[in-house]
Amino acid sequence: MTPTYEPLQSSAIATDYQRQWAKGLRAQITSGARYAFVNADTPHELFHHIGLPIVTNQWWSAIISAKQLSEFYFDHMVELGFHDRLARYSSLPLIAELEGNVDRQPWGGLPRPAILCARQSADDHQKIFGLWAEKTGAPLVLLSSPGVPNPHPRWWELAREDWETLYGSDRLDLMVAEFEMLIDRLEAVTGAGFDRQSFSQYMEAINAQEQIFEQASDLIANAPRCPIRISEQIPNVMIPQWHRGSGWAIEHATRFRDELEERVISGQAVVENEKIRMMWIGAGLWFDTSFYSAFEDSHGAVFAWSMYLPFAADGYIRKDHGDPLRALAARVSAMNEQLHQPPWINAWMVEQARKYRIDVALMLIPEHDRFSGHGSLFAKKALEEAGIRVIEVWSDMVDRRRWDREAMVGRISPVLDAVLAEKN
Amino acid sequence: MPVIVTPDASGAAVALSDAFDQRDLYAGRHGAPCVGVFGNCAPEVLIEAAGAIPVQLAMGSRQNAGGQRSPIDEVIEPFVDAEVRRFLRRLFDGAFSPYRAIIFPRDDASALIAYQYATEWVRQGQADKGVPPLFLWNLVHTDSVPVRDFNRRQADRLFGFLKEIGLTPPDSLALAHAGQQQARQSRLLGALQETVGNTMSGGTAMRWRNAGRFMSASEHADLLERAQGVKVRSPASGCRIGLVGSALASTATYEMLESIGPVVCDLQPWGQMWPLDLAGAEEIDAILAALAADPFCPRITPASLHRTALVEALTTARCDIVVCQLAQTDDTFGWEIPSLAAQLERCGTRFINLGFRDPEPDEQWLAESLKAIAASLEGF
Repeated sequence: MTPTYEPLQSSAIATDYQRQWAKGLRAQITSGARYAFVNADTPHELFHHIGLPIVTNQWWSAIISAKQLSEFYFDHMVELGFHDRLARYSSLPLIAELEGNVDRQPWGGLPRPAILCARQSADDHQKIFGLWAEKTGAPLVLLSSPGVPNPHPRWWELAREDWETLYGSDRLDLMVAEFEMLIDRLEAVTGAGFDRQSFSQYMEAINAQEQIFEQASDLIANAPRCPIRISEQIPNVMIPQWHRGSGWAIEHATRFRDELEERVISGQAVVENEKIRMMWIGAGLWFDTSFYSAFEDSHGAVFAWSMYLPFAADGYIRKDHGDPLRALAARVSAMNEQLHQPPWINAWMVEQARKYRIDVALMLIPEHDRFSGHGSLFAKKALEEAGIRVIEVWSDMVDRRRWDREAMVGRISPVLDAVLAEKN
Repeated sequence: MPVIVTPDASGAAVALSDAFDQRDLYAGRHGAPCVGVFGNCAPEVLIEAAGAIPVQLAMGSRQNAGGQRSPIDEVIEPFVDAEVRRFLRRLFDGAFSPYRAIIFPRDDASALIAYQYATEWVRQGQADKGVPPLFLWNLVHTDSVPVRDFNRRQADRLFGFLKEIGLTPPDSLALAHAGQQQARQSRLLGALQETVGNTMSGGTAMRWRNAGRFMSASEHADLLERAQGVKVRSPASGCRIGLVGSALASTATYEMLESIGPVVCDLQPWGQMWPLDLAGAEEIDAILAALAADPFCPRITPASLHRTALVEALTTARCDIVVCQLAQTDDTFGWEIPSLAAQLERCGTRFINLGFRDPEPDEQWLAESLKAIAASLEGF
């Protein structure tokens, strides 16, 4: 570790905020307030705007994993009769729910949600959420996810303005119609009306937040030396993203960007003598985030890139063209797919690697979470053709049983040695 | 082994067996235009109505099934389904160049990956042998006004594509005729399945059923009709078997199962869920509604419909035991297993999960599975 490295003040503020928010939410829902349990790639904006709190499946999964409970639950998963090649990241909360001992779970477990919502982007989402619905009796809303027949490789160039061309009118029409049905359900659950007038302003606020994150991303990409670790990038982006468009989220995005800018101007860096820039491709390694600083002292190598910050801009900014619900459909209709399907993932990885001046990419390939794993080797090939060294990490974002840190360090070090030898 | 009763029936039985054995290599023998389809949930009826033969390529010839490497292997992860790998290797070896097109139903999990990998390899300029036009069929499996509208637009898109590849977009007469032929094919296959355990084995029924994936529905129906007089030695009686899990076309596995009892209810994806019964659906909206309501599509919504349909069919068939088997890459059916087992057990039906197996399981897997099933039948 570089001795002079200090965490951002923003990081503590973000995690404190989330802790307080979680505490408040826990108090609300354990005292009977209604909430929704939703997948990450669903239109959170509709829930936020109508005032129904949400717990996000993948966030809850990361919380369980960070509490070192995944090992227990995945063993239990097999005891329940599920085989051990099923997806982990999106199923960990379900297994905790099925196991049923709420004292073991974070927050003392979750009460019955008022509504469940998932998108059928991966084939197992509807199975996992279907089991949640059976177990809890909560109604389940599934959003369709037809494929994009002719995906434009450089999707981020069209996604902000010309999303109608990029995602296709037929798919957007369907998604908007399904949003309308979801809004009806949310109005019934909350007893509140969906304010369409202010929804436009809310969507504009989200666009503004994501533009701030884009500036933050540019700062890191262009800085002579990387100013922060990705283990700090991630909470500073994802916590505001869970609250996107709120006053606090925009305020925090601004604070984060400004603090980054100060660091860049003052020359503060993760590694004083930065020699190698790396990218971490895939979801976070939630149970071992300190791994991200493992090569700073030994090789002057810093993880500069993780998808969450740059995706805040490319994956979220959508001009509304007078129709904010349709713009939201454009944001959601291929949200996950852009991170996992060729040609979208390979083209974007190369673009980002070049922008961030990446030398080495570590690519998390979760073989038993195939939706997240498919397309990995296309991305690897594209990165290698662009001159980036790629190291495959066959592991899982929440299952520490498949992680051998020492062995991984042993695999990566010789590659970094070779990069250093080339540079010297 | 079939016991042949008439020369005509004999010829039909041989043709059905040949078609199953030769698979897509059987399809092109008449010179009729062929359109490949990959996986279940494909719009075969619409392709036939346009004057082409839909040919299943996910259960295609076993050419290059093994170790012969192909340049596209570089981008195929180890967890990609075996049928996708085999298909991609053959596709980029030019095996499907005579086809007018290949259609991939989005709601078949393997098909979406096959489509994405194939189109990306082509886009990158890596395909140096003839690759026919590729088309993603985006039918959504549920029922709502917006979905009906969406599905109709997908059908119109398909018809436009069929025109582009030199076929005739079907008119109402062609649609009605194709719907009737598929309904006839489905009816005859239903009758065939009824005879399993009496004059037919489940393994032969599986072979004859899937023979129809490599010929027109009318030719298949004709052959099934002519073969009705054929009797096949009944497998061991006493235990009625249901089969679920991943797609299985292994004759050896059926032989293993039927050394215990007949497979009277075959609900794995290459089983009796195909072809969809289109009786009464002869115009486009009715056909699309029937396709969208297929409860055996794993992506059908509401999510509970799939398992409900499985349980209903297995209990109606009076299965004594339901055998589950899984492809090495299963990540979907596994979610159904505990609940399916529990629901069946509540109905008095035993359930055994044999676990993972290769597309053509080896002797050891077969022997161990036989032993496991026998053990689970103790006291039966």
